[in-house]
Amino acid sequence: MTGCGGNMTRRTFLARAAAASAVAAGAASGLQLASCGESPPPAPAPAPAPNRSRVVVIRHDALATEGRGPTPERVRELLDEAARALTGDAKAADAWARWFKPQDRLAVKVNCLGLPTKPAVTLALAEAVGAIGLPPERVTVWDRLSRELRVAGYTLRGTGDDVRCFGTDALERRGNGGYSADVYTSGATGSLISRIVTDDSTALASAAILKDHNLAGITGVMKNFFGAIHNPNKYHDNGCDPFIADACAQKPIRDRLRLALCDATWPQYNGGPATRRQWQWPYGGLILATDPVAADRVGCEILQRKRGAVGMKPFADEKRPVRHLASAEARGLGTANLERIEVVSIGRPWLDVG
Amino acid sequence: MNAKHATTRREFLRAAGAGACALCAARALAEDAAGDRVTDGARPQAAVHDAMWFERLPDKAVRCTLCPRECVVAEVERGYCGVRENQGGDYKTLVYGNLCSINLDPIEKKPLYHYLPTTTALSVATAGCNMECKFCQNWRISQYRPEQVESLLIPPENLVRIARTRRSPTMAFTYSEPVVFYEYAHDAAAIGRKQGVGSVIISNGYIREPALRELCKHLTGVKVDLKAFTEKFYVEQCAAHLKPVLDALEVLADIGIHTEIVVLLIPTLNDSAAETEKMAKWLVSHMGPDVPVHFSRFHPTYRVKNLPPTPIATLDRARKVAMDAGLRYVYVGNVPFHEGSNTYCPKCGKVVIKRVGYKTDVSQLRDGACASCGTKIPGVWTQEQALAFKPKEKAPPKPAAQS
Repeated sequence: MTGCGGNMTRRTFLARAAAASAVAAGAASGLQLASCGESPPPAPAPAPAPNRSRVVVIRHDALATEGRGPTPERVRELLDEAARALTGDAKAADAWARWFKPQDRLAVKVNCLGLPTKPAVTLALAEAVGAIGLPPERVTVWDRLSRELRVAGYTLRGTGDDVRCFGTDALERRGNGGYSADVYTSGATGSLISRIVTDDSTALASAAILKDHNLAGITGVMKNFFGAIHNPNKYHDNGCDPFIADACAQKPIRDRLRLALCDATWPQYNGGPATRRQWQWPYGGLILATDPVAADRVGCEILQRKRGAVGMKPFADEKRPVRHLASAEARGLGTANLERIEVVSIGRPWLDVG
Repeated sequence: MNAKHATTRREFLRAAGAGACALCAARALAEDAAGDRVTDGARPQAAVHDAMWFERLPDKAVRCTLCPRECVVAEVERGYCGVRENQGGDYKTLVYGNLCSINLDPIEKKPLYHYLPTTTALSVATAGCNMECKFCQNWRISQYRPEQVESLLIPPENLVRIARTRRSPTMAFTYSEPVVFYEYAHDAAAIGRKQGVGSVIISNGYIREPALRELCKHLTGVKVDLKAFTEKFYVEQCAAHLKPVLDALEVLADIGIHTEIVVLLIPTLNDSAAETEKMAKWLVSHMGPDVPVHFSRFHPTYRVKNLPPTPIATLDRARKVAMDAGLRYVYVGNVPFHEGSNTYCPKCGKVVIKRVGYKTDVSQLRDGACASCGTKIPGVWTQEQALAFKPKEKAPPKPAAQS
């Protein structure tokens, strides 16, 4: 057990019933984090998969339902199957235990700007890690703003024995509006980082959404972390390159990131990052990997394939080539070359985008 | 002596910054304007206002035409400044009156040395900037987004009322970057002008010509931070470019508005005598020898903490180089009690305006001239003069030669 127990100074800032309204009112009351200040424990033993850049793409009709989308229970089953395929373990719990420990404080970063990560996908991940004894109250689902989480369909919760969910802006203001006191520098970027990462997590998961981006080509696992820094607006020049890679290489993020999950249930292949229903389609997939670069490369290929199928130009021909994947590989964050990525396809073939 | 300077500098920064003390002062000033609504900083929607400079693009995207970046902004995204957002294909500013700093400062603190000396400027800022200077002294507001700072909502007419109540002849749009809160500065300046309050901007000069010319219709003075005189510095240290700033300076000279220049000298990065000489010659040729230029002392901060404060000798050298190049009014800034803070008559050499810290003695300035020899000193010396300023119209393009 670490010194970051849930019974420390984490204060109630929102009664469960009033959580949404209080946060909507501006979060001025704030949420005090445990502020344990500890370094994240070393990651569990690496998966025995021969290729770290193995990416699992699991597809199922249940993931492509319209309306409220799949249930977390159904997603959970598929997620467990994907986890087993990723590690080669017979039991899903053994797979999850490779990435997380019961004493971890897991921060699950979702993307709620424009087309969001579906809550059912995120909650399935939170449930899945519960199988290894990581209690739900040690899991925080988060993004920049509580308001954006609420609009995306998440239930805000600051305390209690369930999964917590709030934005960085809900944190108690200590002169930095929920961000670290220190400026973290990585390559071309210099940013404050959400204290949900620096003060209240020992492990990170990116629960991203697969969609088009008007500058970077795609938004996926890595660009999701633009929502972890205080100044993402500074880093959109040159197709967000090398800034996406540099942001992900920030030490607090890089050291904690254990798992990359991308919601490809209804991806969007054009017009992002805003929601454009006419360019979404029922791919019915989840992408799971430990290599964030490989996960995004696979996601990029899916979007490119779909664009080609409907007669749209590749990103590069629209003057928005996906440059940041190569930059990320150059920084040692993962594998960008598809030829060196092992794609495990479960269900329909992963490049069947019809 | 240096230790004393350093201590004083820190105090200066604390006063000028936008921390908690500034906000307390802001609240005190805001009380002057009955009916002001206080925001909690987490609801920038309270200050959402139509942006003035943008073009609509396909798929609900917009192109911002306010500054040289010309950001193409997709729906739900923001521009580089972080304070302008595409909402459903309409471009909005999120900081119209959403002030994170408000103080009553000596005008000398801007610094403006040839503009109504001994008076005060009601100085305000919002979050955001269209550059990212790694040495920014006010980065805790300039590099933040509106929802990340505590703010007060003060509409333009209320700001003017505060200035009048506090008997401040000037409003200063400063601390962060007024270009990014353009609409607010524009409207407040327009209202202020009608009610006898002038307006100045303390800016990086990173603004496109049409927007600058429009804004100057309502301003009475401008101070521009010329960060350096090399493209390399602008790119590497500011994430910007030099030429647009020089273009803006030429526009200001063409308009004829009172303009002063500040150059923050940073050891090893922009402090060479050769660069200073080149800059000074450019200023003489493009803005005239009378433009006041301030060489200011750098102190380590933000992302440049590995360099020492600028040696006083470096500032002295820069001042001499600039004056040798033909500039007549060159100052040393951020160094209290330095003789380079004074205004000297270029003809007789006597002190015309003596400055010790923010105490200013103008007894040797008579009707805008040296009391000793009568030489006219360029500047804005009365409020009537400030409010009488009208920008020169842009000369129409020459007609094409007839064949």
